[in-house]
Amino acid sequence: MKIAVLQFPGTNCEFETLVAVKAVGMEGEIFRWNRPAGELSGFDGFVIPGGFSYQDRLRAGVIASKEPVMSALKEEAGIGKPIIGICNGFQILVETGLLPGSIEKSSGNVDMALAQNVMVSQGKIVRRGYYCDWVNLRHEAPSKRCSGSFAIERGALLKIPIAHGEGNLVTTTPGLMKKLNDEGQVVFRYCDKNGRIIDEFPFNVNGSTESIAAICNEPGNVLGMMPHPERAFFAWQLPAFDPRKQRPDEPGPGRRVFESMKRYIEVNA
Amino acid sequence: MKIIGLSDPQVQTSLRAAGIGMSVPEARTIAGVLGRDPTLTELFCYDAMWSEHCSYKSSRATLKEFLPTDGPNVVMGPVEDSGIVAIDDKWCVVISHESHNHPSQILPNEGAATGIGGIVRDVNCMGATVVATADPLRFGNPYGPKANKVRWVAEGVVDGIWQYGNALGVPNMGGDIVFNDSFDDNCLVNVVSIGIVRRDQIIRSRAPPLAGEKGYDVILIGKPTDSSGLGGVTFASEALREEDEETNRGAVQIPDPFLKNVLFKANDDLFRLVRESGIEIGFKDLGGGGFTCATSEMGSAGGFGMEINLDDMHTAADFPAEVLSIAETQERFLIVSPPELREKILKIYNEDWDLPNVYEGARASVVGKINTGDRFTVTHKGEMVCDVPIQHLTEGIRYNRLELPRTIRVQEPDVAEPADYNQVLLQILRSPNIASREHVYRYYDTEVMGNAVIRPGEADAGLIAPVRGEKFGIALAVDSNPFYGRISPYWGGATAVAEAMRNVAAVGAVPSTLTDCLNYGNPEKPEAFWEFREGVKGLAESCKKLYLKGYEAQQQAVPIVSGNVSFYNESPQGSVDPSPVVACVGIMKDFSKAITMDLKKAGDKLFLIGPRFDELGGSEYYRTIFGETGANVPIVRFDLERNMIYAVIDAIDEGLLAAAHDISNGGLAASVAEMALTRPARFGVELDLDCVQGGDIGMRTDKLLFSESSGFVLEAKAGSEARLEELLKSYSLEPMQIGIVTSKRRIVMSRAGECVADLDLDEARNAWTAGLVEAMR
Amino acid sequence: MSMNRKINLRVWLKIPDAEAATVKNTLIRRLGFGNVLDDVKKERLFSIEVDSGDPEELAKSFAKELVNENKESHIVLIDELKFEEDYVPVKVALHIEDGEAISIRERLRSRLGFENVVDVKKATVWKLYFNTLKPEAQIKAGEIAERLLINPHKDSYEIMI
Repeated sequence: MKIAVLQFPGTNCEFETLVAVKAVGMEGEIFRWNRPAGELSGFDGFVIPGGFSYQDRLRAGVIASKEPVMSALKEEAGIGKPIIGICNGFQILVETGLLPGSIEKSSGNVDMALAQNVMVSQGKIVRRGYYCDWVNLRHEAPSKRCSGSFAIERGALLKIPIAHGEGNLVTTTPGLMKKLNDEGQVVFRYCDKNGRIIDEFPFNVNGSTESIAAICNEPGNVLGMMPHPERAFFAWQLPAFDPRKQRPDEPGPGRRVFESMKRYIEVNA
Repeated sequence: MKIIGLSDPQVQTSLRAAGIGMSVPEARTIAGVLGRDPTLTELFCYDAMWSEHCSYKSSRATLKEFLPTDGPNVVMGPVEDSGIVAIDDKWCVVISHESHNHPSQILPNEGAATGIGGIVRDVNCMGATVVATADPLRFGNPYGPKANKVRWVAEGVVDGIWQYGNALGVPNMGGDIVFNDSFDDNCLVNVVSIGIVRRDQIIRSRAPPLAGEKGYDVILIGKPTDSSGLGGVTFASEALREEDEETNRGAVQIPDPFLKNVLFKANDDLFRLVRESGIEIGFKDLGGGGFTCATSEMGSAGGFGMEINLDDMHTAADFPAEVLSIAETQERFLIVSPPELREKILKIYNEDWDLPNVYEGARASVVGKINTGDRFTVTHKGEMVCDVPIQHLTEGIRYNRLELPRTIRVQEPDVAEPADYNQVLLQILRSPNIASREHVYRYYDTEVMGNAVIRPGEADAGLIAPVRGEKFGIALAVDSNPFYGRISPYWGGATAVAEAMRNVAAVGAVPSTLTDCLNYGNPEKPEAFWEFREGVKGLAESCKKLYLKGYEAQQQAVPIVSGNVSFYNESPQGSVDPSPVVACVGIMKDFSKAITMDLKKAGDKLFLIGPRFDELGGSEYYRTIFGETGANVPIVRFDLERNMIYAVIDAIDEGLLAAAHDISNGGLAASVAEMALTRPARFGVELDLDCVQGGDIGMRTDKLLFSESSGFVLEAKAGSEARLEELLKSYSLEPMQIGIVTSKRRIVMSRAGECVADLDLDEARNAWTAGLVEAMR
Repeated sequence: MSMNRKINLRVWLKIPDAEAATVKNTLIRRLGFGNVLDDVKKERLFSIEVDSGDPEELAKSFAKELVNENKESHIVLIDELKFEEDYVPVKVALHIEDGEAISIRERLRSRLGFENVVDVKKATVWKLYFNTLKPEAQIKAGEIAERLLINPHKDSYEIMI
């Protein structure tokens, strides 16, 4: 079972992501953007890690989305291989049209955007732009719905950090929000520590529509998430006030995303 | 340029007309050594190399006289771009500390970003993986007469830091921020970076042995050279005048974290190539002084000469030789390597990492050769534009500056004891210098690399676990209190070292090394030079008397392995308060033992160590409540200080403590409040001030609460109290059990049976979290 | 009738524009516009509406705040917005709420005391240099906007000729 961790110029989370991939018992390697794209077909799954591909020029993810390696990745997505896009990886998947996955299958249209963060509380913008902190996520999809949360039960709470300036999901596509909700494509939402969805800052940390933090495509093999599970892979990485930090040998909440990916590949093999 | 035979005013005129900052005697020295009139390029090269920034011409003698730079853990002292200390037999910490003050005052965003860009290159070029940065920042008074400018600078600097650092992918472990009116026209933007490297994989910044005999290549990599930052070095060495801002702006470099990110990964491949081939190379970053500085210093450090052909350099446009020689174009490195590696090295940068398509014009180019001579020669368009003795160029010059004690008129204020301590506490917690730094820290990516164990704001120091599978952690803290420096430059220096070490100890790490960035005014003014020397003496005294833990018997000083001097931080309105900014690296054998400052459990006992003295000079209390400075600046009682630091480290190692916080700005009251207010802020405290012992006993309650004498507040784990007391006593410390953690959300303090303060935790937290947001709005 | 004046600041980089270079590279190497497109440049555009004051003088103050003289140049256009002939200007702006424009307005008003500032809008103008004639160039410019320059869920574009 071999995973490619994609690396674009400006990617900066590939090393810790590879650590996570390997730590759950998958093989993996970093796949540099200018390698022959055809070599992707030799892998069983893909992670597009976080960072600033092409320095977020023009807008986050868009330049990388035009690279040949992404066309090849679309093919791999089409045959059901799992793809997890984390933070900038999510932004790239959106700009590629792989997420949420076009309603008109053939068109390749972009159906949503991850716009600049706007932190709103009581109707006022209290902050905007880049933000780094630990957030609480509620798993919204049923287990087995999506590759990256395959082994996570619905309603599970995960504490994972975010660090981004553009994670505010917006769309003008008619009916898209309803479809995402109806089809179980909303994978994670931001919530408070008890799992309540409170649609304003600091709980909805970036102004995202319906507090959405992660979505998958209709078949469920492609997942995009703004939070960084690879940074919450070990319990010792948790913030000081989390009691699990005192049990450093325990797995961190983010590990479950990588375990899910592994399980998904095993089940679908 | 004609020098020989001309009068001093004539030489002065032509130097200034050419944009060269050096003095007439300096120019005459050069002409004398060359035995002819120097070329324009030669003068520019000397001007850069002999600048204060590159040559430490005013400071070097003082640094040598006082600072301890060696120790059993030192792998490399302050000789190259970064210092290196050992963590264990295998791993080392690389640390560097710089200032980027002047550029940041003019163009805050680019200035601060370039500061990070430069410092991470310094660390990376030792063969290290850069794992953290931290930024000690000093801004003017956000409520003073220059509030708009001050806030513009502060906002731009913070933006520059996060925009560069986050994109690069190096976590920010914090730093500190102080607002003070002496920085109204001169902000201080210091930056610290640390890296890790295996001891057997360190790469030196010099032409390696036999480089001359074998004609090693000089390879320039990175961004195409342009004219940016031209004169940046001279710029950093001159006082700021507001009318010069327009011209000064041309001196600021344009950083590019994206290109740097790719270069770092390509450098990793270079390091791998070097390891696999077993051939030593020289590697250095291009910073102040640009191409000339990097090339000549590499050659000179190896004892070789060097020939450069500027026609082989990749450039952004057709610039004159003197521009190419000293421009401070960012994101460049220099390699000195044997010809047999040439093609492999070029392939790494030009093909594997595709630099030309990542950034227009970026690449790796062979630009010269090392030889066995003693000259630094540069040709351009077929002409010899520079031919100078390489050692003469790189050795720089020394000045013995005059020093004269500054008359500092201070006195203790005669102020009435406040009637309402709740209000006083709220005011102190809201003060921009005490308030939570969270507003700024949330812009910094603290999580990238996945190494963060303790994040900015969670404790007195940040802590990372940079190597998977290894248990060690690296702690980092910075400190310098300009208000103390204003009253006593000496104690300003001594307390900076002590506090930085306390900060590191408060998470459980053992202070291992220090760096200093010495920010002062114009050294040609005897009072400013005196302040500088006093500061250095104070730093040195603390280093020498607090000892490296484990080597107390030998009275081994804590070594200072890297540093920087930044003079001319002044404007016609005056100079900055003496600011010897210190960074302390601490090592923890087992990072899982580290603790933070937030209160952990209701019922736990709180202990104070460190008696309270009447030391409110420069205190937050005098300043915020009364607008006074005072005179009794906190001093370092070296034996007491050392015992406190060591006891806290041992107590954490034994697992006796649930939380620890040092006492500094805002005194005992602020320290205890911060422990309650730091997330998750679930508990209150009850303090009985009658339990405070020793020191200036019988002080008024306000002095007791707000004195900034050093100390710690410790939360003992339930059941560990007796052992803790025993441990503290073994260090001759008096354990003072001053309070208890409560489940009531209130901060309560009483003395002699009477309630002194009883403050709602949420009200206190609102004040504490609002202070910085308001100051930077 | 409103007496409000509109101050337009067109701002461009004096130093190499890495973002424009990347956009050009992507259009030519990845999206197949190499045969019609010669060059891409970029400007920032601030449109500041004021209800009083001398617009020329105000423009100088705003430029001091919004333009980074070390790396940028600018021109001021009052109550009009025109571009040169040799390229197709494509203006891209957010159609969702623009938080940055709001904070610029607040900064000008509260921190710097320009209470006559009514509104601030900001946009990016992409200057597309074609080797084809106007009608075709305009069609190509529209294609470039839709295929690369905008994400329609947050941005809108306007071809300015």
